[in-house]
Amino acid sequence: MTALARFLAAARAASTAGALAGAALVGVAACSGSRTEGLDSGKLPESLRADYALFTQRCSKCHSLARPLAAGITDDEQWSLYVNRMRRQPGSGISYDDQERILRFLRWHAAELRRREAEKKPPPVPSASAPPPVTPAPAAPASTTSPAIEAAPGGKGRT
Amino acid sequence: MTLARWRLGPRVGALFVALAALAALATPARALERNFAGSAQLDYHFVPTSREARAFPSAFDGFTMEFAGKLAVDFSEKVSANMKVCYGCHGFEADMMYFDFRVADELNFRVGRFSPSFGAFNLRHDPANHRLSDKPLPYDMGRMLRMQQWNMSVLPSPFPDNGIEIDGSTFIGQSAQLDYAVYGVTGFKADARPLDVDFKLSRSPVSYYVDNNARPTVGGRAALTYRLGEASDVTLGASGMFGTYDPENQQTYLIYGADLSLRLGDTNLRAEYLARRTTFDTSDPGVFKYAVADARGDFFMKHGAYAEIEQALTPELDLIGRVDGMLRAGNVEAASELTRRASVVRYTVGTAYAIERGLRIKLSTELWDFSNREVASGRKVDLSMHAALAGSF
Repeated sequence: MTALARFLAAARAASTAGALAGAALVGVAACSGSRTEGLDSGKLPESLRADYALFTQRCSKCHSLARPLAAGITDDEQWSLYVNRMRRQPGSGISYDDQERILRFLRWHAAELRRREAEKKPPPVPSASAPPPVTPAPAAPASTTSPAIEAAPGGKGRT
Repeated sequence: MTLARWRLGPRVGALFVALAALAALATPARALERNFAGSAQLDYHFVPTSREARAFPSAFDGFTMEFAGKLAVDFSEKVSANMKVCYGCHGFEADMMYFDFRVADELNFRVGRFSPSFGAFNLRHDPANHRLSDKPLPYDMGRMLRMQQWNMSVLPSPFPDNGIEIDGSTFIGQSAQLDYAVYGVTGFKADARPLDVDFKLSRSPVSYYVDNNARPTVGGRAALTYRLGEASDVTLGASGMFGTYDPENQQTYLIYGADLSLRLGDTNLRAEYLARRTTFDTSDPGVFKYAVADARGDFFMKHGAYAEIEQALTPELDLIGRVDGMLRAGNVEAASELTRRASVVRYTVGTAYAIERGLRIKLSTELWDFSNREVASGRKVDLSMHAALAGSF
């Protein structure tokens, strides 16, 4: 078998393997649920969509959006330090103005995580001797709830 | 550098776990802001065209696994620490163990173990941060075919080293960002009378993780990022590094490079060039394949470059095309299969698909075109394929 023939045979094998891998990929994709790395911006509060768009641009330059979105940070102060550290990364392109806008989105994201965590907790069981509550706990404002965000594991920064 | 990598094996793992546990238990919570992140990649490398290419250690043909865990701790707005431990083809290694003391955005002191600022790719060297399984050839650290003949790439990435870096960043108006850094680190290593950098020795515990010649390697980088629009920017950078690598401080290396990154919406274009000038010992002409020239015969040049385009077709799907290569010019060891002037060009097409948030499938095919025929197979052209699963959190 000549070198050319061997190469062509290998190329055919590679093509076949590639096609099989592609088919597997399509299959996996079809079975997958949420495939996007980011959030569905159409389901975000309208006032935050521009901030979210900026977040997706600036914060996907060096790493995937999964890094911040799945970080599980629910503390606003921690986000401030985190984004400030990212702003100083070489070539980040994150200006002070950008930082404020990105933080506006991330604080909303953190609030959503806190709300979801609170919803997961079972309500306290009232004891027979305890007096009835004077006022009911206020419900979260409609504008802060969104199906766009998906439950992220962890609490205040996974450590 | 990869060279000077700190290979402590289980000790590093134990240290990292201990540090992570301490940080997790530290109270009050607001005193230390911590963030834990990580990534992993399982890659299968298939080389159907060459039996020789499959033979370890000429190429890593088969499964390779990399994972990394990183703990970032913000003590205050001025002081932070980063610790990152990687597991890869050569076991556990400390990729980062440093403190940052930021006097201002324009002046930061980084002390400890870190990858010194060089080039554009190293910022994305984590497998979860680039869309192909392989790094660009000038930065390859072990996945290239015929890696032993070539003694790997120009500057295998990552290249963590012990030392100090002074860096900073400043905005010029609202559209331009200038980043700069200068550093002094341990540097590459080799035994006495070397012919090239010894990457294995440089990360081997045999050298006790200390400098072999007490003379630091120095370097620096400057890069300018200019915002072209809300979703577009361009970065131009230049880097340089110089040091000695033998115990007698007789042999030197100079690495320099330039890079261009252009982001236009969902399209990323990147190009980078780097070169290493390495002097070698010529006291024994018998070890060389060619006669040693009287003048300018005591060094070789290794050039490397890549250009790539990364296009997001949907939020889940990226297509990537890359052309990269290396050129080595200069004398070689007598037993080397390389000639005085040897080159390799690689053409890569690939795709990355996010099957879930933070989880990607990567597929790519590479066509290798070597200037030298492999002695065993007589081949100049090879084909290889990668299939990988990469995740980050």
